[in-house]
Amino acid sequence: MKRRQFFKAAGGAALLTSSNVGCFLMDLYAFSGQENLSHVEARYYKKHPDREIECELCPRFCKLGDKERGYCGVRENSGGTYYTLVYGKACSANIDPIEKKPLFHYLPGSNALSIATAGCNVNCKFCQNWEISQVRPEQVTHYDFPPQAVVQSAKKNACPVIAYTYTEPIIFYEYMYDTSVEANTKGIHNAVITGGYINPEPLEKLTKVVQAIKVDLKAFSQDFYTSYVRGKLEPVLEAIKIIAQSNVWLEIVYLVIPTLNDSTQELRGVCQWIMKEIGPDVPIHFSRFHPMYLVKNLPSTPISTLEKAYNIARQEGLRYAYIGNVPGHRAESTYCPKCQNVVVLRRGYTIEKINLTAGKCANCSTPIPGIWS
Amino acid sequence: MASSRVVIVRGKGVVTRDGDINQKLLLSMYSRGFQLLQDSRTPKESLQHLFQINDRVGIKINTIGGRSISTRPEISLPLARLLAERGIPERGLIIWDRTNRELREAGYSLSMNRSVLKIMGTDTQGLGYNYDLVSHLNIGSRFSRIQTDAITASISLAILKDHGMAGVTAGMKNYFGAIHNPNKYHDFNCDPFVAELFETRQIKEKHRLSILDCLVVQYHRGPAYHARWAKNFGALIFSLDPVAADFVGWQVIEQLRTQDGLPSLKEENREPTYLKTAAKMGLGKARSEEIKIIEEEL
Repeated sequence: MKRRQFFKAAGGAALLTSSNVGCFLMDLYAFSGQENLSHVEARYYKKHPDREIECELCPRFCKLGDKERGYCGVRENSGGTYYTLVYGKACSANIDPIEKKPLFHYLPGSNALSIATAGCNVNCKFCQNWEISQVRPEQVTHYDFPPQAVVQSAKKNACPVIAYTYTEPIIFYEYMYDTSVEANTKGIHNAVITGGYINPEPLEKLTKVVQAIKVDLKAFSQDFYTSYVRGKLEPVLEAIKIIAQSNVWLEIVYLVIPTLNDSTQELRGVCQWIMKEIGPDVPIHFSRFHPMYLVKNLPSTPISTLEKAYNIARQEGLRYAYIGNVPGHRAESTYCPKCQNVVVLRRGYTIEKINLTAGKCANCSTPIPGIWS
Repeated sequence: MASSRVVIVRGKGVVTRDGDINQKLLLSMYSRGFQLLQDSRTPKESLQHLFQINDRVGIKINTIGGRSISTRPEISLPLARLLAERGIPERGLIIWDRTNRELREAGYSLSMNRSVLKIMGTDTQGLGYNYDLVSHLNIGSRFSRIQTDAITASISLAILKDHGMAGVTAGMKNYFGAIHNPNKYHDFNCDPFVAELFETRQIKEKHRLSILDCLVVQYHRGPAYHARWAKNFGALIFSLDPVAADFVGWQVIEQLRTQDGLPSLKEENREPTYLKTAAKMGLGKARSEEIKIIEEEL
C-alpha cells in the first residue's frame, strides 16, 4: 500500500494530467506496480498436467507454463491456476457520449460511463490507445473500481450505459461480465466496444448480459490481419455472425487506412459479406485513420476515400452507412431509407435533432432499426 | 568464412547433489571460459578486449522461473566479482531483470546503492521504461531505462531452457526482458521477433558477450521448472557471437532430449527458427560448420 495515493488529496489538476480517470472519480485510490493486481481465477481455460494451462477465451488459445502470461499480458498462470490480474482494476474511466464509441442507433445522446483495464489480445500497429492497450497492468496507473462501484458510479453520474472500451474488453472478460450482471439489476445497459477476437462460447454467454456490441472489423483480408493486427480474420467474422443472431444491438466500424485496406475490391467485399451474412440494417461506420503508434508513415485517410467506401456500402444495399472522424460531414447523420429525411442529425458527438417517433421516421413512419430509448 | 568461437566449460561437481553451487569451481569455470574465448593469457587480458575501464556493465539475467530455474545469485554474483577483480569498478556493474519481485523470488537481495554493485529490476522507482517507442521492423517497444541509460555494455547471462513457444530460450531471447511488451512477440516460435529485437540499436550496440548458464538445464516442458526434465549439466557456454552461443545451447537441449527419448524440437514444431533468421540478418552464425566449439572440463 506504499504506492497508494489518495487522489482527493492530490488535487484535480494533478489528477487530470497524470491519469486516465475523469475527475468524477476522484475518490478512487490509484496504484501502480504489481502489488495491487487482482488474483481472481479466470474463466474459460483448461488445466493440463504439470501446472500448464490453455486459455480458451480467445482464438489464440495460449498454452502457458507456470508463471507465464498470455499474449494479452493480463492473465497469468500461477501454479497451474489461471488468474486475471485486472479484475476491478480500471486504468481508464470517463464519461463519454455514446456517439464516441461510435454507437449511432443505440440510445442517442446518452452518456456512457466508459471503463478499461490495461491489455489487449491483438497488437494493431495503428492502435490509438496503445499506451494502455499494449502494456501490462503493472505498467500503468490503475484504480480499484470493482463492479458494484462501477454501477454505483454510473447511477450517480446519470449514465444509462456502461461501456467497456478503449482497450480490448475481451481480456477483462470476468470484470466486464460481472459488472454487466450487476448493472442489469439496476436497469443500466452495457455496451461492448471490441475487436471481436473472442471464442464462440464466452461470446454467446456475454450476449446474454449486454445490450450492444460494436465490432471493429479492421480489414477484410487475412494478410492485413496477419501483418497489422497479429490475429485472424475468420474468428472475427464468426463473432459478428454470433452477435447478429443474438438479441444484442450490433454496429460495425471499419477504420479505412490508406493503401492498406482501402481498395475498392476489399471495401466491396466487406459490404457484400455484411449484406449476405448480417443483412442491410446493421450500421457500418467507415472511420478516418490518423497516423498513430507504429503506422506513422501514412497520411490521414482522404475524405474522398471514405466517401468511396460510403458509396460502395449504399450501392451494395447497406441502409445505414456512416463516415466517422470527420465532424460535420453529412454522412454522420442517419437518413430514412425510404423518404431520405434526416432522422438523427449529428455533428461530431453532438445530437442536433432527432426526428423519430417510437423508433419510426417522423416523416413517413418507416421503422428505423435500433434501440432508441 | 571465419567461424565463430563458442567455449563450453564443464565443471565436474559444480552443482552438488543438494543443488548448491561450488563457488570456487564456478569462478574457475568463468576464468577459464574468458581465457579460451579469446586465446588470452589471462582472464584480465580477455576482459580488456571486451570492456573499457569506464564502461557501466549490465549483467542481464533471467529470473522469471523463480528460485528453481533462474539465473541464480550464486551464478551471477561470482561473475560480477570476477569483473570487479579484473578492473571494472564495482559501482559500474548492474545485475538486472524486469521486476524486483522476480529478482527477490529468485533469491536476490536488491541493491540500489550507487557506490557498489547494483541489483535491481526495471520497475524500480525512478527507472521504468522509456516513454519513446522504438520501432524496428516488427518490433514496437519501450525499452528499460537500465538498458538504454544506465549501462554502456551488456552481458546476457541467461539460463538455458526449453521453451514451449520459442523452442529454446537463451542469450538472445533474454533481451525480451528489456522491453515492456514481450508477450507480443511469442507468435511463430518467436521468429523473427527475437532476431529483430536483438538487432535494435539499443541491444546490438551494447551487447558484448553471451554466457549461458547450463548448470541445470530444463530440456523439456520449459520455461517453467519441472524437476523430471531438469538435468544437472554443469556447464557454462561463452561466446562473443550471440547467435552461435544460442545455437550451441539449442544442441545441448536436443542432446538431452535425445538421451531421454524425447522427440526433437523440430518434431514438436517448435524448432528455434529465429536463430536462422538472426544468421540471415548477419547477427551471427547458426550452422555447425561455421562454429568452432572449444570444450574443456575442470
